[in-house]
Amino acid sequence: MASRRRMLLKVIILGDSGVGKTSLMNQYVNRKFSNQYKATIGADFLTKEVQFEDRLFTLQIWDTAGQERFQSLGVAFYRGADCCVLVYDVNVMKSFDNLNHWREEFLIQASPSDPENFPFVVLGNKIDVDGGNSRVVSEKKAKAWCASKGNIPYFETSAKEGFNVEAAFQCIAKNALKNEPEEEMYLPDTIEVGGGGRQQRSTGCEC
Amino acid sequence: MSESQDLSYPPIDPVNFDLIIVGTGLSESIIAAAASAAGKTILHLDPNSFYGSHFASLSFLHLTAYLTSPSPLPAAVTTTDSEDVVVDLLHQPLCSDAEITSYDEYSFLCENSRKFNIDLGGPRALFSADKTIDLLLKSGAAQYLEFKGIDECFVYEANEGLANVPDSRGAIFRDKKLSLKEKNQLMRFFKLVQQHLDDTQEEKISKEDMEIPFVSFLEKMKLPPKIKSILLYAIAMLDYDQDSNEVCKDLLKTKDGINCLAQYSSSVGRFPNAPGALLYPIYGEGELPQAFCRRAAVKGCIYVLRMPVVSLLMDKVTGLYKGVRLASGQDLYSHQLILDPSFTIPSPLSLSPRDFPSERLQLLSQRDIKGIVARGICITRSSIKPGVSNCSVVYPPRSLYPEQMTSIKSLQIGSNLAVCPEGTFILYFSAMCKNADEGKNLLKAAMNALLTLPVSGNTISSVQSDSEDTKPIVLWSALYIQKLIMSKFELISSTSTPDGNLNYNDLLDAAEKLFGQMYPNEEFFPKATSPEDPTDEDDNGVTLDS
Repeated sequence: MASRRRMLLKVIILGDSGVGKTSLMNQYVNRKFSNQYKATIGADFLTKEVQFEDRLFTLQIWDTAGQERFQSLGVAFYRGADCCVLVYDVNVMKSFDNLNHWREEFLIQASPSDPENFPFVVLGNKIDVDGGNSRVVSEKKAKAWCASKGNIPYFETSAKEGFNVEAAFQCIAKNALKNEPEEEMYLPDTIEVGGGGRQQRSTGCEC
Repeated sequence: MSESQDLSYPPIDPVNFDLIIVGTGLSESIIAAAASAAGKTILHLDPNSFYGSHFASLSFLHLTAYLTSPSPLPAAVTTTDSEDVVVDLLHQPLCSDAEITSYDEYSFLCENSRKFNIDLGGPRALFSADKTIDLLLKSGAAQYLEFKGIDECFVYEANEGLANVPDSRGAIFRDKKLSLKEKNQLMRFFKLVQQHLDDTQEEKISKEDMEIPFVSFLEKMKLPPKIKSILLYAIAMLDYDQDSNEVCKDLLKTKDGINCLAQYSSSVGRFPNAPGALLYPIYGEGELPQAFCRRAAVKGCIYVLRMPVVSLLMDKVTGLYKGVRLASGQDLYSHQLILDPSFTIPSPLSLSPRDFPSERLQLLSQRDIKGIVARGICITRSSIKPGVSNCSVVYPPRSLYPEQMTSIKSLQIGSNLAVCPEGTFILYFSAMCKNADEGKNLLKAAMNALLTLPVSGNTISSVQSDSEDTKPIVLWSALYIQKLIMSKFELISSTSTPDGNLNYNDLLDAAEKLFGQMYPNEEFFPKATSPEDPTDEDDNGVTLDS
């Protein structure tokens, strides 16, 4: 039985502060880009309906809400993710070096049942900057790292120009969908207190 | 990348805040979310590598380590000339007297350590219709959480074992342990309460009766002891023996008793797929503080885990609070400070300058300890009630032995709530007590009534049989004692510890009160969601509803 939970795919976006995580989400979902960088405030998660093989799914894309800045993302953020997107800035070497850290952090915190096959997608962002002249991480180097980690799909993107963002997220959605839920708890009897509980009788016993 | 590199944070920027909060327990996290929603700039710190402080849910090995060797504060960084008086903080663990016993399958528990999310402050659950649910909705924290219903609520009866709590008309009707007479008495009483609560009905409980002790009112209604006990301890969830004037610290008036009944019965069936009155969060109670912290982060609160605060910075002349010094050596300033209850200030102050007005600071070293609660955790391979995964049990006073003056609360949670590996169960116990010995005896009696705690040396596997009467065998157990400290609003405010209740109502009230004292002109989570929240823009709440 396909539960409601199965129709909702949780995607989390990880990477150093300032690599463009929030911008990528905004470009994909809202087709908007703001040049004015401020450390993420106000970003929670965005949702988008995606169609795949005649079925509609809701992609729920979780921003780090700025909690990555001091590596203080709690375990709750990672729970139940169907796909993990790792983002770095092609113009900042350290953000690429840290991909390894973010991937390991994810595997520890989310502890997926099959870590070898858990779907990651890597995005090299900001390829538009300075016409590509300030770039320090080559595509070859990035692809080699992705290959060494079990052939992680790799996309080069520009959240600013909207370049390759749609294609990247299509791949993300597809891989999230392939990730089989492992827990018996994803039976349709979980309760979200925000839904369903409103039509309340006022008081009293059931008699 | 080396471990040390991982942890070398950049300096925190900015250095001035409206509020600095130390500790990410539920109360601190609620205030962080509320103050962020009110537009305050906040820095939220925690010395631990995890969220939740005393409300955390931990892995098996993490919990063991936490209970046996609480991490001390790092030595204060003595830096040179400071304009301020530097007062070093003391960290006093809230949990003590930990007694951990491993009976069987220790290697299995270790190998599956991360599949456990064991609550430090258990047993704890939510009533479907209580104010915690309202706060989760109002604050937006609900969107990060999922719950499941607790399948059954039991009351333990001396010599009879577990009986269902008859909490609705249907439950009374179905009950197999109540006599027909008892069923009628209970039905009549429920009807009376319902009429009282119904505004269109004339018939009310008299004003005088509303002010007398609930226990006297129940006697006046001629309810038999068994029914009385269920109403007082399994539905109103009282701690102390209501029949004993000497020991009773929480004598309940009829009006409050009626409110408890109303909350309980409006909880039953509030959510279509929750069978009873209680809910429990998937992955454990540690998800609740994290949900509030994420709410705060979305509104701009800065989070730094693994960052102890070692000292307070006090103004030389006025003696007022100015800021904190972090373990990293960085000094940060704020208008107000909230410390989690495990921090105190040494008394008397050493090293303070001769004319430093330290009297107000001395107040902080005096903590308002309200009592102590004994907590227990057991891991088993089978359920205390065959076929039931998640259930609560209340042991009313004197149900276990004549000197038992407080009730004991218990909660069994199974693997379908993602807190333990498949085929295992976690049981939580708690009881208010006068001292550690009394508390542990209470919990041991409660455990022994429903579980088998093997005597070391016994071969366990041969004892097991499939008979229904077989008590589940405990693989591992822990007992510990926790102080109850009340929140206070002072020069430096502090939050309260987990209390002895099953639900969060009193803790929420305390957090809301503290918020109101700190920010008398701000609303505690204004109703309308702010329009600048980008998530509200173009989707239509798919995440909340289905």
